[in-house]
Amino acid sequence: MAAREPRFNQEVLVDTTPMPDHIPKVQELGATSAPLFSAAYFIGERCKAYNDDFMKCKDEGNGRGELDCLKEGRKVTRCAASVIKDINTHCLSQFKAHWECLENNNHYLFECRRPEMDLNKCVFDKLGLKKEIPGSPEGQVPVHLRPKQKYAIYPGPQY
Amino acid sequence: MPQDMPPVGGYAQVQYKRNIPTRGFQPWVYMAGMHLIMIWGTYKYMQGTREQRELAREKMWARMYLTPLLQAEEDRDQVRRHFANQAREVELLGSEQKIYNSDRFVPATITYTPPMTAASKAWYQFW
Repeated sequence: MAAREPRFNQEVLVDTTPMPDHIPKVQELGATSAPLFSAAYFIGERCKAYNDDFMKCKDEGNGRGELDCLKEGRKVTRCAASVIKDINTHCLSQFKAHWECLENNNHYLFECRRPEMDLNKCVFDKLGLKKEIPGSPEGQVPVHLRPKQKYAIYPGPQY
Repeated sequence: MPQDMPPVGGYAQVQYKRNIPTRGFQPWVYMAGMHLIMIWGTYKYMQGTREQRELAREKMWARMYLTPLLQAEEDRDQVRRHFANQAREVELLGSEQKIYNSDRFVPATITYTPPMTAASKAWYQFW
């Protein structure tokens, strides 16, 4: 259940019973796909330890991961929320420009290199998080740093 | 009557060879040109494929970084419904019914629907 309130009528049957009190509450992230996609690499960079911990717990949960890994899951959500909050505090305009660009371009990252460069620069300066694509071939410019994007509508340099 | 004989000096030469000028390049030039064009196209295609591969890698890593987050949210929701179902069971049946011979987490496949209100009952009867 995201930040949106669960509805309960004859067409949308969502159980609205809240979580029992013995499980600590956590504020859900509530971000939609485009902001999450835009901030994914920064979330991945800062929250790698929590993410890996959660996935490992689920993997070793032997079918009970949903119940046993709630604590790890809360850490993952809090960490991601902290990243979004920091980006919103320091780089709101660049962030907004980038995810709105994604929203308007079918979530194609290669159409939004110019706002992405601004966002990456701002986030690196203010938060120290850097976008790096693991496993990209060595000796080549990573695809998000290439000025020319072969598949973008505009054929020339993007920035 | 004497038989017809060839004219004196023989018949004139019959023109059977085509007499048109050769034009254009030699054939091997066209062959080589075709291959050059094909090599160029293959090169561009390979460059495009490599870029596509990198773009796909970028997208997949973005999704992999988001997966734990989305999974955690979904798990919390499922667990919340699970606990609600258990509480409802205890309330209705007096005790929790164990229907699986394992302690794995199994999300409920049957949804709890709210009791019908007078308005919704009237709506369904109307239709």
